[in-house]
Amino acid sequence: MKLLTHNLLSSHVRGVGPRGFPLRLQATEVRINPVEFNPDFVARMIPKLHLVEVPKGPIEGYEHDEKFLRQMHHVLLEVDVLEGTLQCPESGRLFPISRGIPNMLLSDEETET
Amino acid sequence: MSDIQEATNQLLDVNLHENWSSIQVTESGPRSESEHLQVTIGATVPTGFEQTAADEVREKLGSSCKISKDRGKIYFDISVESLAQVHCLRSVDNLFVVVKEFKDYQFKETKEEVLKDFEELAGKLPWSDPLKVWKINTNFKKKKTKRKKINQNTGKEKINNGQGDKIDETDGKKGFTNNTLDSHILDYYENPAIKEEISTLVGDDLASYKDEKDESSKEETHPKMLKFRVTCNRAGEKHCFSSNEAARDFGGAVQDYFKWKADMTNFDVEVLLNIHDSEIVVGIALTEESLHRRNITHFGPTTLRSTLAYGMLRLCAPQPTDIIVDPMCGTGAIPIEGATEWSNCYHIAGDNNPLAVDRAANNISSLLTKSQIKEGEVSWGLPIDAVQWDICNLPLRTGTVDIIVTDMPFGKRMGSKKRNWNLYPACLREMSRVCRPGTGRAALLTQDKKCFTKALSGMGHVWRKVHTVWVNIGGLHAAVYLLKRTPQAFVHPSEQDGERTPW
Repeated sequence: MKLLTHNLLSSHVRGVGPRGFPLRLQATEVRINPVEFNPDFVARMIPKLHLVEVPKGPIEGYEHDEKFLRQMHHVLLEVDVLEGTLQCPESGRLFPISRGIPNMLLSDEETET
Repeated sequence: MSDIQEATNQLLDVNLHENWSSIQVTESGPRSESEHLQVTIGATVPTGFEQTAADEVREKLGSSCKISKDRGKIYFDISVESLAQVHCLRSVDNLFVVVKEFKDYQFKETKEEVLKDFEELAGKLPWSDPLKVWKINTNFKKKKTKRKKINQNTGKEKINNGQGDKIDETDGKKGFTNNTLDSHILDYYENPAIKEEISTLVGDDLASYKDEKDESSKEETHPKMLKFRVTCNRAGEKHCFSSNEAARDFGGAVQDYFKWKADMTNFDVEVLLNIHDSEIVVGIALTEESLHRRNITHFGPTTLRSTLAYGMLRLCAPQPTDIIVDPMCGTGAIPIEGATEWSNCYHIAGDNNPLAVDRAANNISSLLTKSQIKEGEVSWGLPIDAVQWDICNLPLRTGTVDIIVTDMPFGKRMGSKKRNWNLYPACLREMSRVCRPGTGRAALLTQDKKCFTKALSGMGHVWRKVHTVWVNIGGLHAAVYLLKRTPQAFVHPSEQDGERTPW
């Protein structure tokens, strides 16, 4: 699971709503995959994300800051979580990540009506 | 078009041009004509996606297409140097070079006369240029595959695919026996990561072709002993003959003319005789096996054709950095096609079935492995991820997905019609939540058109249907619905005052 995906995921446990984001990530096994750097892609993706912790760096004119974009590129696309857990920040419910795939299925009682 | 593709295309042009001018220095005259060889190529595409395929041809080859009345076929002209690029088209199933087209063929009255005409036709057709193209194409494929020629298995599929009388054009039940070996062969030269090699390859090929021509100038009129077969597809109600009869008699005449050996399963040349009412097209096949399973090595029970997946994605006109989700991905055919062709978007494959997600993940790994072959030790990642989730309760933030493309359970091989009555509305609701208001869009394939239409009718405040493409999936009449997400923000039912939001 890449961290870009993590940024799109949100807990859907009943009653949690928007407080289900961001899921707390605990990674036990991680792999780094080189991905071709596309500054345009990263620059345009950033506004779509809901970045809670912004890495230290300029906020204005970030599109032209290659160092910053490379950092973001690495974090979002090259870090692959193979084993670990995601935790709903509101309910504490754990979702396992196994072989790079998070399992977000809930039981019937847990899902929203 | 991605940067990689653009750069490669430029490289392709440059290399060939260099090659051509170097050839011109050493020999002149008739030699240079071959490089300027213009041919008409025919391509079979999923029915309903002829326009999408025509758009791709225009975008990647610069040629305009003629869309045939014989549904599922498009025709376009190219110069023979572009042959490699033609093989990289992602919306076409099969390719052939046109020998001759008859727009309004006059059939005689009796079967005997018609068949006699076909026999006489064989010797009168302009075979020369198309055969040149076939030869270049064969050499090109030999070098790429580095394996023995396709074995008996594919030959047998051809028998199932090609023949038989048809009243309506059907895509036919393509044999699902494509094994992974064949997929790998085709995948290898399909992958955009290896296009760079293609450019030098075609250059080499034209050069080596010239050398061969040097050796024997008689080669054109009397090609070496080749094995061939004729495949006849006939559609129309007024014909007094069958496709088998036409193939047999036309084939006999072809055999006499070329002195080739007829072989139905292990052939070098496949001659196509396509008859649709009064339109006849004679062609020579350039693909030995359909390209449509190219990216999938791990099949599931209802794996979608890659060409169809491509068509659906293209309908949505993906923009750079679009987030594209398939919430019922099965084996992942759609996101994988997406990640390969639109690598400047981000793709997510999701399914509730652990087997499906597993297969999707395996297909993604296979794809990565293939690009590794070219890139060397470095394992390049792809902008694609897999998640196990429930479509009715997607663990995605509201309004974050730009494009949703999916193959909804038809209720035949997967799920049931009864289940669809509850599933479809729930799907549409949840999809409307995650889809970005205003700019978001969805392309949804289903055979259960009645259920879908009913489910959609209650969702006019969030979904607007803009286009329907009628397609044929293994004999079933299905539809791809293109929907646009309205600008209205999603309102959680609990936030409403117990009343439905007005349309």
